[in-house]
Amino acid sequence: MQTSSVLLRSWIWLLSVRGGQRGEGGRIQEPHSLWIQAVGQSGCSGLYRPVARRVMLVPQDTVHPPQTASGEDITNLWQNSQLSPSLAAMSLQSSTPEALRVVNLLQERNLLPPAPVPAPTPCLTQDLQKLNCSPEVFRSTLTSIPQTQSLLNKAKMPLGLLLHPFKDLSQLPVVTSSTIVRCRFCRTYINPFVSFLDQRRWKCNLCYRVNDVPEEFMYNPVSRSYGEPHKRPEVQNATIEFIAPSEYMLRPPQPAVYLFVLDVSHNAVETGYLNVFCQSLLDNISSLPGDSRTKVGFITFDSTIHFYNLQEGLSQPQMLIVSDIEDIFLPTPDSLLVNLNESKELVQDLLKSLPNLFEKTMETQSALGSALQAAFKLLSPTGGRMSVFQTQLPNLGVGALQSREDPNQRASAKDIQHLAPATDFYKKLALDCSSQQVAVDLFLLSAQYCDLASLGCISRYSAGSVYYYPSYHHQHNPAQVERFQKDLKRYLTRKIGFEAVMRIRCTKGLSIHTFHGNFFVRSTDLLSLPNVNPDAGFAVQMSIEENLDDMQVVSFQAALLYTSSKGERRIRVHTLCLPVVNSLSDIFAGADVQAITGLLACMAVDRSVTASLSDARDAMTNAAIDSLMSYRQSVLTIQQPGLLVPACLRLFPLYILALLKQKAFRTGTSTRLDDRVFAMLQLKYQPLAYAMLMIHPALYRVDDLTDEGALNINERTIPQPRLLQLSVEKLSREGAFLMDAGIVIYLWIGRNCHSNFLTQVLGVPNYAAVPDNLYLLPELDTAESQRTRAFIGWLRDQRPFFPSLHIIRDESQLKASFMQNMIEDRTESALSYYEFLLHLQQQISK
Amino acid sequence: MILLTMVARVADGLPLAASVQEDEQSERDLQQYQSQAKQLCRKLDAQSPERCTLEAGDMNFHLLISQGVCYLSLCEASFPRKMAFAYLEDLSNEFYDQYGRRIPTVTRPYSFIEFDTYIQKVKKSYVDSRARRTLSSVNTELQDIQRIMVGNIEEVLQRGEALSAICTKASNLSNMAEKYHKDAKYLNTRSTYAKFAAVAVLFVTLIFYVRFWWL
Repeated sequence: MQTSSVLLRSWIWLLSVRGGQRGEGGRIQEPHSLWIQAVGQSGCSGLYRPVARRVMLVPQDTVHPPQTASGEDITNLWQNSQLSPSLAAMSLQSSTPEALRVVNLLQERNLLPPAPVPAPTPCLTQDLQKLNCSPEVFRSTLTSIPQTQSLLNKAKMPLGLLLHPFKDLSQLPVVTSSTIVRCRFCRTYINPFVSFLDQRRWKCNLCYRVNDVPEEFMYNPVSRSYGEPHKRPEVQNATIEFIAPSEYMLRPPQPAVYLFVLDVSHNAVETGYLNVFCQSLLDNISSLPGDSRTKVGFITFDSTIHFYNLQEGLSQPQMLIVSDIEDIFLPTPDSLLVNLNESKELVQDLLKSLPNLFEKTMETQSALGSALQAAFKLLSPTGGRMSVFQTQLPNLGVGALQSREDPNQRASAKDIQHLAPATDFYKKLALDCSSQQVAVDLFLLSAQYCDLASLGCISRYSAGSVYYYPSYHHQHNPAQVERFQKDLKRYLTRKIGFEAVMRIRCTKGLSIHTFHGNFFVRSTDLLSLPNVNPDAGFAVQMSIEENLDDMQVVSFQAALLYTSSKGERRIRVHTLCLPVVNSLSDIFAGADVQAITGLLACMAVDRSVTASLSDARDAMTNAAIDSLMSYRQSVLTIQQPGLLVPACLRLFPLYILALLKQKAFRTGTSTRLDDRVFAMLQLKYQPLAYAMLMIHPALYRVDDLTDEGALNINERTIPQPRLLQLSVEKLSREGAFLMDAGIVIYLWIGRNCHSNFLTQVLGVPNYAAVPDNLYLLPELDTAESQRTRAFIGWLRDQRPFFPSLHIIRDESQLKASFMQNMIEDRTESALSYYEFLLHLQQQISK
Repeated sequence: MILLTMVARVADGLPLAASVQEDEQSERDLQQYQSQAKQLCRKLDAQSPERCTLEAGDMNFHLLISQGVCYLSLCEASFPRKMAFAYLEDLSNEFYDQYGRRIPTVTRPYSFIEFDTYIQKVKKSYVDSRARRTLSSVNTELQDIQRIMVGNIEEVLQRGEALSAICTKASNLSNMAEKYHKDAKYLNTRSTYAKFAAVAVLFVTLIFYVRFWWL
């Protein structure tokens, strides 16, 4: 056995050399790895002959085995290879991996998997894959990277990364060491994908230069052993956090500073949000992240700016009013931001009295611009977080805006105007904030048009986040109030990182050129994030600048340097490793359809602001047409009629259609401009998992939930109903259906819904008794009610924001928005899924 | 005005605490002073003077070392030195009380950053001119200014560099000397040869002269 394998090795080597001379260098590796797998799977006797034949096939260019082929597939190959070449080719086609199985979309209707679509696994050896970064944190649109730019151009798919770098993780190794080992040349952090040449030297996997292993690194604190640098936690974990030494600090770590800027104009008092805000802050004041240095401050504004002196030792808070909004100044600079621990009682006093303070105000104007300038002045010495609550269009002083929306044009199929900001005031201020490590989070609670396109810039460039509660009212809209409450709780208590920067590095030859998300690009690849929060997602686009000829794998590394709320400087490093391939079929096999959709959505948002919405819509349709056409022309060997796609891209046309019908990009349906802009901001800012729900909501039938296949989490049984297609044909009058659209969940009750469901879950005797505007499920002590509530609770727990629940009947106002999410159906202004497929097919075969 | 305060461990220059607060009007180049302060802390060792003041342009660094911890503050040159040291003394007492035992064991920079709260409070009482008068009356006898060494920040930071400059100059000098020595030797030999040649020529001429004249 020993001799035969040695002999075999030399055989393969010889053949490889010959293959290499023919310019098929990339392919020759595969027989080798296959052979190794085969030894593991099927023993050794008689291996010699079949493998030799199998190798012979390679130059004939008929076999193109994937690296993941299992042992059984290989045995098949061997048997087939004894047949005539044409037959062999046919049967080889059938052995293609699941991802490349040809699907005719026009024939196969039911494509949705029963459960949410998982991320594809890159074709790496098991050792590497075991170490690789989680797809929830770091994901690529193509899990197999093409070798050259021309190959990528041929595949016509976007190449990019989607990141969720500060995600709350249940397990995160933290390393404290005086020296952090990094590549001397490209500054890459040491990671699991570097190679150790020997005990003393390691080779960087991004720039391929050789570095020394520092003495300190030889000792492994986990196993307390010496001389095993490859067993250090840094080399065993693709996601790791370092405690940074003082070289990583330009100044001492800043304290956690929170400044709240509140609109108290008549309009704001009407909505009644102040009560909810003050109560939430009072409830969570001791769980604000921070240490004994934490500082807070408050500014309120209408047509004037009000400051609050909360200096320790005062008997009650002092209000200071500045009416000169043209040239704003701070009345007492050092007692407006106070230490939370020392002035806690004063802060609590203020929060209790604030809602009553402005109860009778008649001031209708809003000088938001000046308030922001004042807040910036207050925060600029330290940096921190500014939370702005705004309820109307700012109409006084600097940064005043005009209403730009024409309600009659909302439904026009023509181009949508005013997606770009009206003034650069907010962007400029945001950049000033960014340079002083101040992030601005915007809470917009308004029934009227507020020009989110302009206001949103303040958060976008300062790495803040935007929350939007359309038609918020404390009495008329209890669902929004609940959402606001829950969002605030999460917002106030979630983890936060201050004065952060993020850099994404990739293997030499690849280059990153466009970034999506909320941040400011300080130098070519350094993202400045005054604050970073666990709910922020980022996306980048990449191109291949140099051919990746002699590489098996490439790596990407995202490093996020931030100051924790406890004043520790930390670096969180994520490293992703992906294989390089040189054939189109492999590229298609590795396509990640959700990531592609997410990246296309970001690109389309940019396009609709810089060019026009119709341009962006065309670009999305063309993206689907181009990639499917490329697949048809270059990968498919057998031409059949129909719309043929690889199985991994079978949802691509559906997602593109969903994007075209998404609030952000739809035309012909009445959409408020602010709603549209907010949807665009969300698409760019939300991590992929949440953005996907906004694009393609999940539909479940919930009147017949059973415990079959249920999950069991913390001794709670969570039923797992099947995902249904978004088509009215899936609804039935006898049932109840739950649609999960990210920030909102609809529960639609059919007219003839089972009385069992009505009584056991909703607690009403019959359909007519279901109240309008129901947003809470009653807590009934029945198995059905428990199951339904457990399922909804589980859906809510999975995301950081709080989706409000609306229970709707046929007569409800919200029925229209429920039906608008039925993506596969035809509407007056948009194609049905089948029509869209026919359109694609027509374009492709043209 | 006290612009910057820093507490560091003398043994390895690890920063332990600092005050971040900058004033609105002092948009001056604090970043530069910040890094100077850091360098300074790294240069300290057991031989460093217990108290000293270093001039850096129109600013002064005041330095106090006690119990293996260095307390450093950056003040305007006009700020009374007596006050500055009273302030540092105050910090050192409180700091040692709070964290004294843990000082040698910590490894993370700014481990005691929460001390900042105290620093700010003390700073306020020293900077406030009304409070200052009362304080200074208490502290008059506290400080003996003569004990405090005064130097220039540039000098301290560049002391090492000056030495190395001298070193290179010296080695240059010795190189030159060697070269000179060689040249001199060479010249010597040449002049000796020249002398011999002259004598030889004279001698040959003499022989020719004797031979042709007398014969």
